[in-house]
Amino acid sequence: MSYAAIADRLRQGRLVLLDGGIGTEILRRNVSWADHQLADRPELVRAIHEDYIRAGADVISTNSFQLCRRAFRNHFRDEAHQRLIGAPDLDQRADRLLEAAVALAAEARARTAGNRPVAIAAAVTTLEWCFRPDLAPPPEQAAQEYAEIFAVVRRAGADLVLLETVNSIREAAIAAEQARRAGLPVWVSFVCDEDGRLFTGETLGEAARVLQPLGVDALLLNCAPPPDITRGLEELAPSAQVPFGAYPHIGRFDPPEWMFTDEYPPERLREIASGWYRKGARILGGCCGTTPAHIAALRTLG
Amino acid sequence: MGYATIAARLQQGAPVLLDGPMGSELVRRGIRWRKHGLLTDQPAVEQLHRDYLAAGVHILRTNTFQLNPRIYRNVFRNARHMQHIGAPGLEDLAQRLARTAVMLARRARAEAGLEDRVAIAGVLGPLEHCYRPDLSPPPTIARAEHAEMARVLAEAGVDFLLLESMNTLGEALAAVESARVTGLPVWVSFVPGPEGELLSGEPLGEAARAVTEAGASAVLVNCAPPELLTDCLRRLVRAVQVPVGAFALIGRFSPPSWKFEFHPQFIEAEAWPPVRYAEQAAVWRAIGASIVGGCCGTSPAHIAAIARRLHMEAQPA
Repeated sequence: MSYAAIADRLRQGRLVLLDGGIGTEILRRNVSWADHQLADRPELVRAIHEDYIRAGADVISTNSFQLCRRAFRNHFRDEAHQRLIGAPDLDQRADRLLEAAVALAAEARARTAGNRPVAIAAAVTTLEWCFRPDLAPPPEQAAQEYAEIFAVVRRAGADLVLLETVNSIREAAIAAEQARRAGLPVWVSFVCDEDGRLFTGETLGEAARVLQPLGVDALLLNCAPPPDITRGLEELAPSAQVPFGAYPHIGRFDPPEWMFTDEYPPERLREIASGWYRKGARILGGCCGTTPAHIAALRTLG
Repeated sequence: MGYATIAARLQQGAPVLLDGPMGSELVRRGIRWRKHGLLTDQPAVEQLHRDYLAAGVHILRTNTFQLNPRIYRNVFRNARHMQHIGAPGLEDLAQRLARTAVMLARRARAEAGLEDRVAIAGVLGPLEHCYRPDLSPPPTIARAEHAEMARVLAEAGVDFLLLESMNTLGEALAAVESARVTGLPVWVSFVPGPEGELLSGEPLGEAARAVTEAGASAVLVNCAPPELLTDCLRRLVRAVQVPVGAFALIGRFSPPSWKFEFHPQFIEAEAWPPVRYAEQAAVWRAIGASIVGGCCGTSPAHIAAIARRLHMEAQPA
């Protein structure tokens, strides 16, 4: 229901504002990111969602980056080994945390949005590491795992799926199909490199041609620095027949955390994003390292 | 110099007390697990070494488990991507952190005045996730990468090298070969799977013989539940002439929801209070283990309990 208002805005060619970083914002508030903090510090996660809603976000994304059953399984040789030394709830933990992530976003909306339509996007990343297309699971396996994730977030009340930091057309198509099958609107956001290409070397034009017939509702770029996003949008824009946009990262990945830099203060990001807006981008927001102040600055674009 | 004491004890058939874990105990103490705590929490790392010294250990292990350039490289598309969006200096961060880790262990030992009694083991873990033998790199690559970290640890002043949680024979042999180049003594410890063989499924006895022939001067098992290590030790004792040992994990591995390299978060360790764990160590000793200590989930209290149970309480320096 909440997505209808977003779809309307996009149909009218108006700006739809995404939120900014969640994981990095948790870090910036001096809390560890190791467990998403959905169970230990729910009030902190909710407060960040609320700050983004106050900053003007029309779509807030759940705190669920790379959260899936596989993420826990990957730490063991196999099931027998997991039974031997693993915590007993690991196979259910991802689902439980996904539900909690959606619930916290919904709570934040109920407390802060008032009458303004705000949609909740279930943030779903690649099943394996987002920067490593070489690790992607086989298609049938991937389809099954995505189906499970989308069933959970749909039941929990997500309004749409935001597939983010996707690194290959193949995984994007598998996930998009499953999201449509689950009855959820789906936005697909790719990570791109300095040449505006996917990490597989595929072009964004090709990505648009494959994904648009599958019924994706928007195409985006994320998790790259602003200049790479500018380059990627040049590639994407000519092929985009659906609304498109971007949410860049700011700063440097300092595994397992984030290094904040002042290279792109809110006003500078706004200036760069206004160029994207002029070229037709209608969905804008921030990825790792961006803050509510960045989102508030973007709000003034449209 | 530190290693001579260890060698002498083993020669005499006296038990050698290893310390307990760094990672899981630092996490239990509330330290945020980033860069092994070696950038942000050096006092906590050093304090933990001091706590193990106070418990009476003969060996301090460096806080370098699975610390190698690969753990940072793995989370980027490639080296160029790391340079493009990564924090500066990630290329050789592991080496720099390893030097810091050795410095902290050495300083804790020096301040306790235990240079003659305690040896410092430079810890090398598997290059990929310790529980994922399927990801282990091929021997040529493994040799080069282990050689680099072995050299760094040796130059920083460790007394010997301990290859911990080795999960395939191939990588263990590659690592022994590389570690031997430093001229330091080398111990190998295997992580077993539920079957009691190597986590890779390769037979433990054969692997133990192979690394011994390659020059390992002790063979251990670690990072599996205590009872399972008891079975493994029986096999080790039959397989090799060199000293054998064990250090078990207790509790349950509870990895964080965000995937990354091995993140030492364990729960439910209460099932193995120190006295119970020390009883198990006494069983290992009776079977023929010369070297005992603790892996993930154990603490200085567990190590102190072993010292009491095996009558090797810390002597005044």
